[in-house]
Amino acid sequence: MITVLSNVIRFVVLIALQVLLLDHMDLANGWVVPYLYVLFIMMLPFELPTWSVLLLGFATGATMDFFSSTPGMHAGACTVMAFARTGVLRLLEPRDGYEFGVAPTVQTMGLVWVLTYSALLVPIHHLWLFFTEVFRFDRFPETFGRALLSALLTITLIMLVQLITGRQERKRA
Amino acid sequence: MRDLFRFLWRSRSTLLFIGLMVLSFLWLANGNDHHRAQTFTSSQAAIGTLYGWRDQVVRYTDLDGENEILAAAQAEMMNRMRSSYLNSSAPFVVVNDTLLQQQYKYISTRVLNSTTSKQKNFLTLDKGSKAGLAAGMGVIAANGIVGVVRECSPRFSTVTSVLNSSWNISVLNPRTEHFGLLNWDTADPTTARVKDIPKHARIVVGDTIVTGGDDRVFPKGVPVGVVESVVNDDGAVALDIIVRLSHDMTRIGHVWVVTDLLKLERDTLEAKLDAE
Repeated sequence: MITVLSNVIRFVVLIALQVLLLDHMDLANGWVVPYLYVLFIMMLPFELPTWSVLLLGFATGATMDFFSSTPGMHAGACTVMAFARTGVLRLLEPRDGYEFGVAPTVQTMGLVWVLTYSALLVPIHHLWLFFTEVFRFDRFPETFGRALLSALLTITLIMLVQLITGRQERKRA
Repeated sequence: MRDLFRFLWRSRSTLLFIGLMVLSFLWLANGNDHHRAQTFTSSQAAIGTLYGWRDQVVRYTDLDGENEILAAAQAEMMNRMRSSYLNSSAPFVVVNDTLLQQQYKYISTRVLNSTTSKQKNFLTLDKGSKAGLAAGMGVIAANGIVGVVRECSPRFSTVTSVLNSSWNISVLNPRTEHFGLLNWDTADPTTARVKDIPKHARIVVGDTIVTGGDDRVFPKGVPVGVVESVVNDDGAVALDIIVRLSHDMTRIGHVWVVTDLLKLERDTLEAKLDAE
């Protein structure tokens, strides 16, 4: 129950942060846009079955689409990322498996693991999103560069968020 | 048969993934369909309210620049007022001007939300059909065009921005009287491209580009931008012109929606042509 509640709160906070602040940053004339909201999909509990991660991913993307009046671009990118999550988790699985009932955070998995995890997942989402947004390949290097630079920024923000929220949890304990 | 069901059940995630991807592509393919967007008006109103709250917080941060632009616009208007002109023929005062009929009406609105970093950018306005706004009306700011109203809920409207690669608007170079099409494919929020101006036209850097007015979205002569570069390529059929947009789309607060009071009359007349 607490897991569900904390995920709902995380969803609302991340979407609000994205549409109210990050979408309006206009870094380098809008060339680079961090999409921090994908952290919600990344931080879903380990034991959640793939199909429900897929549905939640699609719903997250659809919410972003309503806010930014884009037709299904975020929904598609999030679904691709949710699908990739299962594979990436299997790839990064520790020898004794994942603990039941924990979310992927720095506390539970360590800094290097979270960094690898985001470095594998975030570029998938960003590349898919930026390329469906442009919807053509004639400016390939530019779009590729935009997606990767934005992904770098998103990963930096994810690590920052993890460090800030992590410290609070430690204090509480 | 049981094997088939077992197979389907085992690959349910992959099937769901494919299903969701097909759904997202269908959504993308119907993305610009006006009717699709109509069904989301209630969610649009909720999103408009949220963006309204954001605007109440953020609007104060840009008051200086906003005041500057409004003061300049007011000065421009005052220059046009009858009281700013000296009457050189005092005995003949025009009391009731029946020769001029008002054709365009301006409705002042606030921009609640705008983007400039996407391929297709939109704005949200704080007025809707209750204030007389309707789809297809032009939106201008103090220094030039901003976009066209895409759809209206009772209290909010969405606007297709000039910075939207799928939107074209007819523009005119008043010096040479050449018409062209403005399209934003420069991926840079300060510039746009003008197409379809023939190669023999003598367009020079520094020419002012204004709206053409023939597509009934804007009055004729609203500033659009200033020509920044002209390329006359041997292989091309038209000039490749880049204009610097006269209104800074990244700083936008107050805008005016233009209503053409004679549009209905003209449309009704022209609809008879189509019916024949």
